This record gives sequence, C-alpha cells and structure tokens, in this order.
Amino acid sequence: MGKIDKWNDRVWNFFASVDLAVALFIIISIGAAIGTVIPQSIEPEPVIKFFSKFMSISSAHKAYEIVSLFDLNNLYHSWWFTFLLFMFALNLIVCSIDRLPSLLKSFKTSPKPYPLEILEKMPIKSTIEINNDKILEKVKEVFKKKGFLIHLFETKDGVQIQARKRSKTRLAVYLTHLSILIILAGALIGIFFGFRGSMNIVEGTGLNFAISDEGKAIPLGFEVRCDKFEVEYYENSGVPKAYRSYLKIIENGQPVKENIVIEVNHPFTYKGITFYQASYGFQPTEHAEFRFTYFDKKGKEHNISAHFEEKFKIPETSVNAFVIDFSPALGVDEAGRLFNMSTDMINPAVLVVFEEKGKQTQQWILSKIPETWETPYGRLRFNELWGAQFTGLQVRQDPGVPLIYIGSILMCVGLFICLFLRPLNYFVIVSKNKITFYSPTSKGMIEKQIDEIIKETKGDKA
Amino acid sequence: MSYQIISIAGLLYIIAMPIYIVYMLTKNKKLGFAATGMIFSGALIHIYGFIQRFKEMYSINHSFMRSIPITNLYESLVFFVLCIVLGYLFIEWKYKNKTFGVFVSIIAGITIGITDLLGITKEVQPLVPALKSNWLLAHVTLSFIAYAAFAISFITALIHIIMGTENKKSFKYIFSTSALGFMFFMFVSVILDVVTSSNPKSVKIFHSTLGNPSIGISLFSWLALFGTIFLFWGLSNRIIKIFENFKITPQFLEDVTYKAIAFGFPIFTIGGLVFGAIWADQAWGRYWGWDPKETWSLITWFVYAFYLHAKFIKGWKGTKTSMIAVIGFLVTMFTYLGVNLFLSGLHSYGSM
Repeated sequence: MGKIDKWNDRVWNFFASVDLAVALFIIISIGAAIGTVIPQSIEPEPVIKFFSKFMSISSAHKAYEIVSLFDLNNLYHSWWFTFLLFMFALNLIVCSIDRLPSLLKSFKTSPKPYPLEILEKMPIKSTIEINNDKILEKVKEVFKKKGFLIHLFETKDGVQIQARKRSKTRLAVYLTHLSILIILAGALIGIFFGFRGSMNIVEGTGLNFAISDEGKAIPLGFEVRCDKFEVEYYENSGVPKAYRSYLKIIENGQPVKENIVIEVNHPFTYKGITFYQASYGFQPTEHAEFRFTYFDKKGKEHNISAHFEEKFKIPETSVNAFVIDFSPALGVDEAGRLFNMSTDMINPAVLVVFEEKGKQTQQWILSKIPETWETPYGRLRFNELWGAQFTGLQVRQDPGVPLIYIGSILMCVGLFICLFLRPLNYFVIVSKNKITFYSPTSKGMIEKQIDEIIKETKGDKA
Repeated sequence: MSYQIISIAGLLYIIAMPIYIVYMLTKNKKLGFAATGMIFSGALIHIYGFIQRFKEMYSINHSFMRSIPITNLYESLVFFVLCIVLGYLFIEWKYKNKTFGVFVSIIAGITIGITDLLGITKEVQPLVPALKSNWLLAHVTLSFIAYAAFAISFITALIHIIMGTENKKSFKYIFSTSALGFMFFMFVSVILDVVTSSNPKSVKIFHSTLGNPSIGISLFSWLALFGTIFLFWGLSNRIIKIFENFKITPQFLEDVTYKAIAFGFPIFTIGGLVFGAIWADQAWGRYWGWDPKETWSLITWFVYAFYLHAKFIKGWKGTKTSMIAVIGFLVTMFTYLGVNLFLSGLHSYGSM
C-alpha cells in the first residue's frame, strides 16, 4: 500500500506542478506555431508544394510522409495536440484542487504571529527610529483608515501587527482558471453536439442540406431558398461594399420565414442553426433570366424578362429583341476592344440584337451606364442577370457557444481582479524605540504605501 | 492630408532622440524640457492627424463606430506609435523620469519612417464588408493599446537585463545589447533611407545602407552594423552608469516592466482574444479557427501567462523574468507584423 500511495503522490504532484503548466505553455505554443507555417490541408499537394520551395521534389515527398505521420498538416485536430490540450485542462484542474483548499482554510483559521526570522527574509523592509508611547495606536489607526484588517500579537520582539487588505482577491486566480475550463468544455460540446457546414445556393433555387467540412451532407429539416443575391460596390470602383442574400425558409412546403436579408457580420438564426454570408460565385443556369425595364414614349415602365437567346417584344412596337452575349464586368482595353474583367458582377452588360422587318442591329447595354440604355427603339434599361450567381453560406449549429461567452466574461473579470486588485499584506513590529515594516511582495506600489504610512505616523507625531 | 500631418509628428519624434541623448549626458534641465516638449508636441500633432483621418474615414463610412482609422497596415502602425508615445508621456509624468525617452523616440521614429519605406498605401480606403462591424473599434483599439504596453515593458526589460547582468559573455547580455545596437542602427538607416529616397514608391528599407547597390557602401554598412553592436556590447556598462545617475534601479525597471504587462495582459485578453472571438463568431460563424493571427495571439498570451506564473508562483526574480518580457514582445511583433508579412490568413487587410 505504501508504495502505491507514494506513486499516487508522485502522479498527483506531477499534475499539480506549475512546472508542468509552464512546460505545456511552451510545448503548445511551439506546436501551434508549427501549424501556422505548414499548410493545414488534408490533401497532400499543398504540403508537398510548400516543402518543394526549400528542397527537391523527392525530399518534399519524404517530408510529407513525416508531416502526415505526426498529423502536422491537420495539427490542431491531431491526437497529440488534443492530448496536450487535455493535459493542460487536467493540469489546471489538479492544480486548483491542490491549492484551493489550503487557501480557503487560511481565510478561516485565525492568524498566528510570524517568527522574526521569516519576516527578516521578506524582500521589503523599512525601519524608523521613533520613541512614542502612542505610536502603536497611531499605526493601527493609519491601517484602519486605509481599510486594512488588523491582527495584533504580543511577541518577545515587541508587538507584531499583521495588516491585510483584499486577501479574498487571491481567489480570482481560480476564477480565471475555471473560465479556461468552461471555454474548453464549451469547445468540446460544440465538437460533439454541433456541426459546421456550408451551402452554395443558386439564385432562385433552394437546398435542404448543408455539406460538412468532411464532405458529408447534413439534413437541415427545412429548405433554405435564395430569392436573390447581390454585391454592392463602392461608387466607381471594384471594391465591394456589401454582400447580401435574400433568403426564405420553407418547411413542409410552406414558407415560414420570408424576406430574410443576411450580410457579412449580420447572420440569421433559425431553429438553432445559424447562416452566415461567406462567399459567392458566378454560375449560369438554365433558369437564369435577363431583366429589363422598357420606358415607352409616355414614360410608362414595362418590366421584361427573357432567357438567353429568347426573343422578346419591345412593348408597343413591332420590334423583337434577344440577348446574344453577356459580360459580368465589361471593360475597354487600351485599343478600344471590349473584354471581360472579372466573373464578379462589377459592371454587368448584355449584347442585345434588335430585329425590325428582317433588319438586325445590335447594341451593348450596360446596367450602370445610363447612356447605353438609349436604343433606336426607345430607352431600355438592363437591370440584372438573375439566377446566374450562387450565394455561399456558412452553416453552423453550436450549443457550446453560450459557455464560450460565459467563460470569456469570467476570464476577463478574473484577470482584472487578479492583476488590478492584488492583496496587500504588511507586517509591522513595534518595539520600544523603533517600528519596522515588512512586506512579502516586492512591489513598488507597496513600498510607496509603506512610505506613506510612515509619513502619516510621523506626521501625527509632529 | 492626414498622412502629411502624421509625417510631421514622426519628424518631431526623430528630432527628440538626440536631444534626449544630450540631456542624459549633460543632465541639463532645459534640454530635458526641450526633449519632452518635442515628443509632446509630436504627440499633439499626431492626435490632430489621427482626428483628421477619422474625419476622412467618416466621410466615407458615415458611422462613428466604423470610422476608427486602424483598418490597414499604415493606419495601425500610426496608432501603435501614438499609443506608445502617450503611454511613455504618462510614465515620464508619473515617475518624473525622462530616461526611457531615447528608446521611445527610436521606436517611434523607426516605425513612422518605415511607413514611408514599405510602399504601403497611405490613402484612406473604404471598408471591405468583413470590417463593417461595431466590434472594429473595440477589438482593434484595445489590441493596439496592449501592444503598446508590451512595447514599453520591452524597453524597460531590455535596460533591466543590461543593468542587472554582470557577466558580459552571458547570452542574456549579448542578446539585449545586440538588440539595442540593431535598433539604433536601424533608426539611423531608416532616416538615411527616407532622406535619400527620390521616388517614394520604389524605396525599400535598408536601401541606403545594407542593401545598397554599391558594394562598397553595402560592405561599409554591414561593418557599421557589427561595429554598432560591438560598441553597445562593450560600452553598455558605461551607459548603465548614466542610468544610475537618474536613480534608475533594477528594482524600478522590474517594477515598470511588470506594471506594463499587468496592464497590457488583461487588455490583450479582452480586446484581442475575447472581442476578436466574438467578432469572428458573428462574421465567420466560428469563434476560434486556428487562423495564423488567432494562433499567434494565443502564443503571445501564453508567453505573458508564463511571465506572470514565473513571477508569482515560481518566484522568479530579476533578469530571468525580464528575458520572458523581451521574448514576449518579439512574439507580439510577429503576431502583429510577421503573420501578415510571412503567413496567409483571414486578417489580410493588415498586409501590404
């Protein structure tokens, strides 16, 4: 039994030690740093490409083998990194269980006088020669005025005063440690009971599942339809101002939520599942339609929709028209030729063919340039190409998030108490002709306070 | 334009540096006032430039919370320097001690000078959708205040190591004197770079010295660099004597280092990590994603947590803890600049 106890003690002391905590700080930091350098990708190509910058291709392949052996390309989810985080949590728990009871006990037990040898070893010491009968009362008064809790002891060296203030703030360290555990617990709950995925929905269509990061389909239990997606640009520039999706939720064939607008930084939550605007892209589909507004001679507006190469009639005329070309970002190069700058809808334009009595003319109409709307057959504004873009949504359900928020708040509170409201401890020995101040912590602030206290006691004397 | 105003502030910081040095050598009080006045007026002009830029941003974004001009590398460097200078002026006033002014003016001068040399854009840019959030103000401002606090702890820790180490051949001593020597050389080099640059767009850092096309000048610069470092290594005990004249004790330096970290650490935790996580949660749908910026922030946090545990639980004292503070700031600088320059990630608006 004795041997087992000894081993138990050893294991316990190992996990309770600050040395382990410090070692874990360093190892986790180095591990995490490696992960920011080596590409984090399950596919081998990016990793090999990265190493081939420094070495030959064959060595790069060997390097990849080592990398994948230790999961360095999926480092933050690897068994060893998870193990380190687990050790970190265990260290925090054992450390706290090891130290907290004795701290709590020290609040309850009545203080005892400290032997002079221990006081003499304290880093802060200052002595003043003074000869006054009432000095003891005065020192006590000064401490009390500053909000200290005082204990007095008669010792052979004189009267020992122990003055304490804010001693309970020593508990804040444990609050900070607890907050880290709460955050880790929140993260675990998120991993086991939540999911992350993405969905690309083309304008005018809907999806009832998301694709997880591993490529699996996750059914949502309802359908998300994208009515429209748009990118708003700053005036006269290609810098995007906002990405916006207009969504609708359909459950059991019935629309239950309509007119939902999501943007970056403005997500939307339904039944615990949150949708974030993440990306977008150009994807022409069969149902895509060109939308125009025609202004007739009386100034009346007619809305027109037409598919690619589908003929439409210009209202109140005998003219037929159809679209034969489209450019999401029409530009003009130095030689005056038209070209497409991007697949983003920065400057959408259509090439429209007009047909009147067998005679054909064609014209580019740019949605952002009103001069191009004027045609020989009236003013025709090109509004948009609808159904040719998809919105990329990030989908998430994470029941651990409330814990993360609670943990974060507790951590901030704990740290502020820890570092801004440190406990103050003074020991004073008042003997016949001198008083000596001691303090166990070597802080400039405390030294200054001793000076202040000394000044006040002296001031009282004068 | 706001950046021209800020350049004037940078010039004043640079001029303050030699005045601080002469003040320290002569102990002439008038020079001390002149040096402080120089930095102080630099700070005032700097604040004025910052407000001007705020207005320029506001005229584009029309939102107070989203117009804080810390949205690209140039603006962040400018704000970082402002925080350091204001922090230093507070310390100078509180402790009635002007001795750190030399180092602060070196760091401020280098940083403002660098903004001229890296070819980074100084124009006011409209916000990309990812930055359009009310968390921008809190997250970025607090992060940089914490960085500035760490910078001040770096300065005091560096002097502390030089003062508190007797063995000139120890790693700590060689490391910190070389760091000082390199900073001094860089300060001079950046000034030369700015002065000799004909076309601001094509200028590169160290182009007038180490990277000069003329092999002679380049070689001479390298020799000068090693000479400076050797000089700092050899003469640091004399420099220490100067500090002792100003009643700077190792105890005092250790204390200021601790206070700067004790101030910066909670600010960094709340502003950098917690607010950053909340913002990431709202913008990207995850509070933590091991993005390089996030990861390096965590590493920074670990280093300073190490500092606090070493000091309070393990009872480390003296230059050992200051060494952690120095490493902490180097890691902080990598988190701030290195991640954007060398690694790719989601905080790319901080890149050039």
